[in-house]
Amino acid sequence: MKSIKIYSTPACVYCKMAKDFFKKNNIQYEEYNVAEDEKAREEMVEKSHQLGVPVIDIGGEIFVGFNRADLEKALELK
Amino acid sequence: MYDFVIIGGGPAGVAAGVYAARKKIKSALITDGFGGQSLVSADIQNWIGTKSVSGFDFSKMLEDHLRAQEGIEIFYPDLVERVDKADGNFQISTREGKILEAKTILVATGSRRRKLNVPGEKEFDGKGVAYCSICDAPIFKNKVTAVVGGGNAGLEAVRDLLAYSPKIYLLQRGQALKGDPLTQEMIAKEAKVTVFLNAITTEIIGDKFVTGLRYKDVKTGEEKELKVDGVFVEIGSVPNTEFLGGLVEKNEWGEIIIDHKTQRASQEGIWAAGDATDVLYKQNNISAGDAVKAVLNIYDYLNKQ
Repeated sequence: MKSIKIYSTPACVYCKMAKDFFKKNNIQYEEYNVAEDEKAREEMVEKSHQLGVPVIDIGGEIFVGFNRADLEKALELK
Repeated sequence: MYDFVIIGGGPAGVAAGVYAARKKIKSALITDGFGGQSLVSADIQNWIGTKSVSGFDFSKMLEDHLRAQEGIEIFYPDLVERVDKADGNFQISTREGKILEAKTILVATGSRRRKLNVPGEKEFDGKGVAYCSICDAPIFKNKVTAVVGGGNAGLEAVRDLLAYSPKIYLLQRGQALKGDPLTQEMIAKEAKVTVFLNAITTEIIGDKFVTGLRYKDVKTGEEKELKVDGVFVEIGSVPNTEFLGGLVEKNEWGEIIIDHKTQRASQEGIWAAGDATDVLYKQNNISAGDAVKAVLNIYDYLNKQ
């Protein structure tokens, strides 16, 4: 099972969509609120080389934003 | 062959879908997402019948309402890439390779955020250039930011940034701010906000991330530079109508010119509703109502054939 991290902010809609997607597919994930957690924010910028949320880390593969098709592929759901 | 195909899943598209299903019109709806531009809104307080709803929940409400209807086929997520005339009907081609045939079409594709189109904007997209203040404002904690655009969206971006950014510049190309007077007053009281009027943003500069922004003061002709870590672009929207090519008449902004009594476009068989049209006021409630108007007119049109 790949470890999954999502870096998010509380009001970000695409973060909510991504989390909904994980829940619907019964996928466990760890969430980091980068509005509060400064260390996580730095980690996110370092991994993604950019400043937008969400950033999703699936076993080391980094996704910026929420793209259902990309996540399905990375998680081998289809 | 469908009697009716709806393109778009915002308030206009979904309202049309609900009405078409209830009229038992053989119909389909193609969309890349539900909720339209309000999806990223923190709180919608003017959707009639609902005191307060987030953009996210709003999009779900629309999707649920549509999916509760019988007899409408939903193609989601998919995106219409072109529409062609074929023997008096229309052929609709999508990104996922589907080809649908339709007697009538409602274009409810809405609009998308306008870009600045200046050097550096594309290069630093996500690297300091941002288009969703409510999403990304917290990431600019302790960073100096600029907001481009003095309309409501620009003022709201300033408001979103107030909690995080120690210094916010607001650049407006016109001589005065345009947004809500109440929000203007609130912002005017904030010492950390500086407003530049008559300021045209000309370039976004940086290294790995944004480090500054250049603008021209149109009154004095002077070029100036601001040191900023983030630039939030909030300068209005562009209608999603390019995929129609020359099939329907559009105005100089690309909005579909419609007959406001029936929502008909210049091409027989095509109707349009919502922000993709030349409707004067771009509002969720208006988009939904205009789409209903269109479906009722389409229903009459199909029955006369």
